[in-house]
Amino acid sequence: MFQMSFSTFRERWELFAGAMLSVAVGVALVQASILVLAATGNPRIPPGLTRQQEDEVREGFVGAATVMGMTAFLAMFLAVFIVSSTFGFTVAQRRRDLALLRLTGGSRGQLRALLLSESLLLGVIGSGLGVPFGLVAQHVQIWLLIEIGLLPDGFTAPWRGWAAIVACVIGIGVALTGVFTASLRAARIRPLEALRETGKAARVMNTSRWLFGLSSAACTVAMIVWAQSTNLIGALLAALGISMCGAVAMSQLSPLVVPLTAWLLPGGLVRANLREGVRRSAATASPLIVLVALLLGLSGTFGSLAAAGGEEAKRSVNAQLVVTSTGEEAERLPAVEGIAVASRQNAVDITITAEVPDEGTTRYYSGIVAVDAADYARTHKLTPSAWNLAGLTGATVFTGPARHGDGINPGQVLSVDAAGQPLQLTVVGGLLETLEAGDSFLLPREVLPRHVWSGAPTETVVQVAPGQNPADVAQRIRQQGFGDVRTVAEWATARAKHAQDGNVEILIVLMGLAGLYALMAVVNAAVIAGTERRREFAVARVTGLTRRQVIASAVAEAVAVALIGVVLGCVVAGAGLAGIGAAVRKAIGVTVVDVPWALLAVVVIGSVAVVATTSGATAAVATRQRPVELVTAKE
Amino acid sequence: MNSAHPAVQLHQVTRVHGSKNTGVAALDNVSLTCPPGTWTAVMGPSGSGKSTLLHCAAGLDQVTSGRVLLAGHDITAAPDSVLTALRRRTIGFVFQTFNLISSLTAEQNVAFPAKLAGLRVSKRDVRAVLAGVGLADRATHRPRELSGGQQQRVAIARAMITRPAVLFADEPTGALDSASAKTVLALLRDMVRTAGQTILMVTHDPAVAASADTVIFLADGRIVDGLHAPTTHDVAERLAKLES
Ligand SMILES: Nc1ncnc2c1ncn2[C@@H]1O[C@H](COP(=O)(O)OP(=O)(O)O)[C@@H](O)[C@H]1O
Ligand SMILES: [Mg+2]
Repeated sequence: MFQMSFSTFRERWELFAGAMLSVAVGVALVQASILVLAATGNPRIPPGLTRQQEDEVREGFVGAATVMGMTAFLAMFLAVFIVSSTFGFTVAQRRRDLALLRLTGGSRGQLRALLLSESLLLGVIGSGLGVPFGLVAQHVQIWLLIEIGLLPDGFTAPWRGWAAIVACVIGIGVALTGVFTASLRAARIRPLEALRETGKAARVMNTSRWLFGLSSAACTVAMIVWAQSTNLIGALLAALGISMCGAVAMSQLSPLVVPLTAWLLPGGLVRANLREGVRRSAATASPLIVLVALLLGLSGTFGSLAAAGGEEAKRSVNAQLVVTSTGEEAERLPAVEGIAVASRQNAVDITITAEVPDEGTTRYYSGIVAVDAADYARTHKLTPSAWNLAGLTGATVFTGPARHGDGINPGQVLSVDAAGQPLQLTVVGGLLETLEAGDSFLLPREVLPRHVWSGAPTETVVQVAPGQNPADVAQRIRQQGFGDVRTVAEWATARAKHAQDGNVEILIVLMGLAGLYALMAVVNAAVIAGTERRREFAVARVTGLTRRQVIASAVAEAVAVALIGVVLGCVVAGAGLAGIGAAVRKAIGVTVVDVPWALLAVVVIGSVAVVATTSGATAAVATRQRPVELVTAKE
Repeated sequence: MNSAHPAVQLHQVTRVHGSKNTGVAALDNVSLTCPPGTWTAVMGPSGSGKSTLLHCAAGLDQVTSGRVLLAGHDITAAPDSVLTALRRRTIGFVFQTFNLISSLTAEQNVAFPAKLAGLRVSKRDVRAVLAGVGLADRATHRPRELSGGQQQRVAIARAMITRPAVLFADEPTGALDSASAKTVLALLRDMVRTAGQTILMVTHDPAVAASADTVIFLADGRIVDGLHAPTTHDVAERLAKLES
């Protein structure tokens, strides 16, 4: 069997090149991710940082670990996908050869063994390439993570041999998983098929496609329905689920959906070819469906959440302006003419220690805000809670939205270290959860020594006096020497952008990766399709088309398929976003959906360009030979 | 080989394509016996059921009713494992299209079935068989580097190496020029006369059919005529009558 696998490999390496590359990239990413994960597991905090900065570094490490985990997972998921579609392709293409093996005495088990050993070979070669790729990938990943601020400068991940071994084992596992359904299908090929002259090609919609396609479609529909009636967290999960399941459903069912969509195209050769070459068009469209659905679905989801958070923040304040300054400077604001209330909110650098039911003794350094309860209450439309901010005087503290649900209950006494001065504050209430994480604790400014809040970064929420024009008041505030004065709308937008910043960067990393895989899958499909169509192209030329016309029609067809793939991906992403929109509406009363138009444009142009180039190039290569040699060529 | 039993025996075999009620009968109540060491040719107009007969006899196609016996084994409802074992040891195939595995060289193609069967074949044996079909110098060529006649001879060498009791051939010379066809026929004759193997062969060339011991004629899925020790002239005459 190995001899056969080797010769098949040698003979048709270009069929396997894409799958091999995707295994190699998968192994590289898994290995790099393991190494980076292992290094972030024991964070080395650079000396000389404030506790808030240390907190940020720690959070960065957690973020980096999340990105790594997601990258590795996504890489494996997509590699299985590519390997399985490659083998699906080659099994369909080699039906006669495989039937011939059965005819000459091969058993079903031997046929399965043949495909498994081919994919083992693919997995071993791919893994072998993946280890050195991994070293490169690791540098790139660390550089990226430092660049987007999740890891501190100078971060390094030491080499560990076991990571390479684990990655290789996973790579081989991925190759074997990918070949599994194809090997079952191959074992069902009947020996008689070797003899059929016009060997009716296997149905493209085979049982496993129906099974996976319909069950994913059912899951998607269920999630779409559920998303309409759930809360925001539910809708978020549903949107992610819809993107993934929907993408799988669409791509598995693409042999049905693509030709159907082709009816929308103007008639002619392209449409006829699309309907004829179902397997080919499905293979090109499915990675694009997955890419677009994931890309637009995820970034649209996070974008919408951030936009909704901004909207919520805007609606939660009963004010017109927000001024940023130090605590000391902010003290001058109430005196400015035309200001009714100036709620100064100092982000103070103190430590609060709390007994948290699930986590034991926990120290908090960030998100601690000192306020004047009365001013705060007048400038904020607080979500009704059982607690009255009026109680926030003396040695008391409120839990903020970020700590809602942590189990820190009223009556509990928290120890506070305010720049060396110990305090005991009693929890007297809490704010409800918001879309954005929000602050951790609110405490009365009066309990803190002045030097603790005077230098702290401070946001002052300003309510102008009745009859005053906010713009005039803003002007007056600027004249008092305050540089950073914004309207509430500007402030909310900036906040939303900031909240999304981390997400967007993480997304870019993941999306870049998904894009890379989609690219490999598309190129793979184009190369396989090109070799498959050599003879068809030759026949077209013999019947009078010029080489240029043949290439042009191949490109037109591929571009049409790419566009169909993009449209179907958009349908999936749209379904996810609709759920988010409904949930946001329920949470804050307005529908906020952020459609990532720029990303959409990039994806459309990029995928059309890639598909056009590869299909053009493979068609050019496939038509290089004189047509007559191919048309008259023997089996 | 089990010489007490006929090599191939079809017993009132009917094969209907499509549903039982509305389908067409490609074979209609056909009975046929091929004794060991004989060469039988099947002739008939296109669509008369020749290929279907061969496929049913070889266990490649399921009969709708009737029984099929191969070297004494009833294979009518045999499971795949039994049929696989038969294909490995008892029967061989040669077809009009050459049916070689394109990624393997000539000698690998020849050795492959034996390897599938778990038999050890030495390179020497393989080369000897290839030399026997006149391809000693082409052992390491791939199918696309060989002419049609050469490919067909590789296919015959493949069928010879395991010395199958029964060889099924569907228009083995159909795609060959007359010189190549002669070589191939000589090889087949040698298998029957010298090695005592049995051949069931479909052809539509009277000259080819005349090499066989017996010719049967099919029309619309039924055996309508037969000839022993045929001559080319007799066969052509009967066929012309059938086709008119
Ligand atoms: N798979 C099939 N499905 C339906 N009809 C078939 C199939 N194979 C053969 N037939 C029909 O059975 C008849 C006999 O076919 P075949 O045995 O191939 O004829 P021959 O080899 O004599 O030309 C023909 O009418 C053909 O159309
Ligand atoms: Mg026939």
